Amino acid sequence: MIAPLAKTGVISSAMNLWLALPIGFVFGFALFHAGFTDSRRIAWAFYFKDVGVPVVMFSAIATGMLGLWGLSLIGFLDISKVYMLPTFLLPMAVGGLIFGLGMVIGGYCPGTAAASIATGKIDAVIFIVGFLLGSLIFGDFFPVWGDFYNSDYMGAFRLDQWLGMGLGPTVLIIVLIAIGGTLSMRFVQNKVWPPAEEDPQRKQVMILQGALITVAVLIGFVFAFFPSNAFIDDTVETPYYIIPKVSGA
Amino acid sequence: MKMKFASRWPPVPAGILIGISMLLAFVVAGRGIGASGAMTRFVAWVQHGLFPAATEQSAYFGRYFADGAHPLNDYVVFLLVGLLVGSFVAAWMSGELRIEVLRGPRSSIAYRLALALTGGVLAGFAARLARGCTSGQGLVGGAELSVGAWVFLMCIFAGGWMGAWFVRKQWI
Repeated sequence: MIAPLAKTGVISSAMNLWLALPIGFVFGFALFHAGFTDSRRIAWAFYFKDVGVPVVMFSAIATGMLGLWGLSLIGFLDISKVYMLPTFLLPMAVGGLIFGLGMVIGGYCPGTAAASIATGKIDAVIFIVGFLLGSLIFGDFFPVWGDFYNSDYMGAFRLDQWLGMGLGPTVLIIVLIAIGGTLSMRFVQNKVWPPAEEDPQRKQVMILQGALITVAVLIGFVFAFFPSNAFIDDTVETPYYIIPKVSGA
Repeated sequence: MKMKFASRWPPVPAGILIGISMLLAFVVAGRGIGASGAMTRFVAWVQHGLFPAATEQSAYFGRYFADGAHPLNDYVVFLLVGLLVGSFVAAWMSGELRIEVLRGPRSSIAYRLALALTGGVLAGFAARLARGCTSGQGLVGGAELSVGAWVFLMCIFAGGWMGAWFVRKQWI
C-alpha cells in the first residue's frame, strides 16, 4: 500500500504541506462552480427554492466514500493510516443545530464564505468576521463548555457498526439514500417553486447526471458483495484526542 | 445563458469535483479537507500577538503553540490558501469577480450584514463545538461513514429549517 503518501514515507511532510495548495485549489474551484459562493443559493436550500446545496453535498460524500473505501479495498490505500473523525454524539448534534441556524441566518458556512470572499462578496467578509469571533468565544471560554465538548465519546464509530451490518452494503445504502434524497428534494422544489421557464439545456444536464449516478450505483453494488473485513481491521483503535478543560491537566 | 452555464455547473458534477478534492487529501495526506480549522488557528495567532502568555496558557488555543510551534504552519492553513486562489481563479475565468453584498430582493444592505455577522458568530461557535464545519466534519465524516458526522449533517438541516421562517425577508 503506497497511500496515504505522507504517512507511508513516499513524500516528506514538507511536500505534503505544499501539496495542500493544489488540493485546496481544486476544492475552491469546485465550490465556485457549485454556486456555493452565493449566499442566496445556500440559504435557498432551507426554503426548497434551490436544493442544489444538499445535492452537491450528497455527490461529494458519495464520491469521497466510494473512493476512500474503494482504494482501500484494492490495496492502494492503508485505511488504518487515514485519520478517522471521532464521534461525540450529543455535542455534534447540538453543534449541528446551532450551525444550521447560523447558516440560514448568515447564508454561508466557513468554506463557502472564504471562497466567496475571493470573488469579492462583502457579506462573506462580515460572516467570516463573525465566524472568527464565534471561534474566539468558544476557545477563550473553553472551561465553561469543555466537559460538554468531551462528552458522549463513542470513538471512531461508523454507520455500519451502528447498524450491525457489513461495510459494503452500508456504502450501497448511502448511495441509494443520496439518490433518493436528491430526487425527493427536487420533487419538493418543483412543487413549492415551479420553474418559471424551461431550461433549454435541461435534457443534456439530466443525461449527464443520470450517467454519473448510474456509475455510482454500479460501484455501490460491487461494494455490497464484498465481505467487510476486506475493508478495515476493526481491532485497530483509531487515534484521537480529547482536549483537557484546563491547560496542562 | 451560455455564460451562466459556464459559471454554475449542474450539482452532481460540481459535487463530484469537491469529492475528488477530498479524495486527493485522503490519498496524499491521510486526512480530509476542511475550512474552519484554519480560521481557529488564525484567531489563535491574532490573539497571541496581543496576549502571548494568556494564549499559550489557554486550555483550547495553547496546543497550537506547544513546543514553539507556529499556529499557521499547518496543513489546514495551506488548504485554505489554495481554496482562496481556486475560487478566485474560477470566478475570474467566469467573469464573476464583483464587489457586492448578496441579499434577497426585500433585504436592505444593513439588515443583510447584521445577519451575516450574527450567523457567523453562531456558526463559528458551533463549528468548534462539533469539531469541524460542513466540509471538515460533514463531508469528510460523511464519507468516512462516521455516525457523529451524519448526525451533525442532519442537525444542520434541522437547525436551518427551524430558523428559515424568521429570516425569510433576507432571502426570498
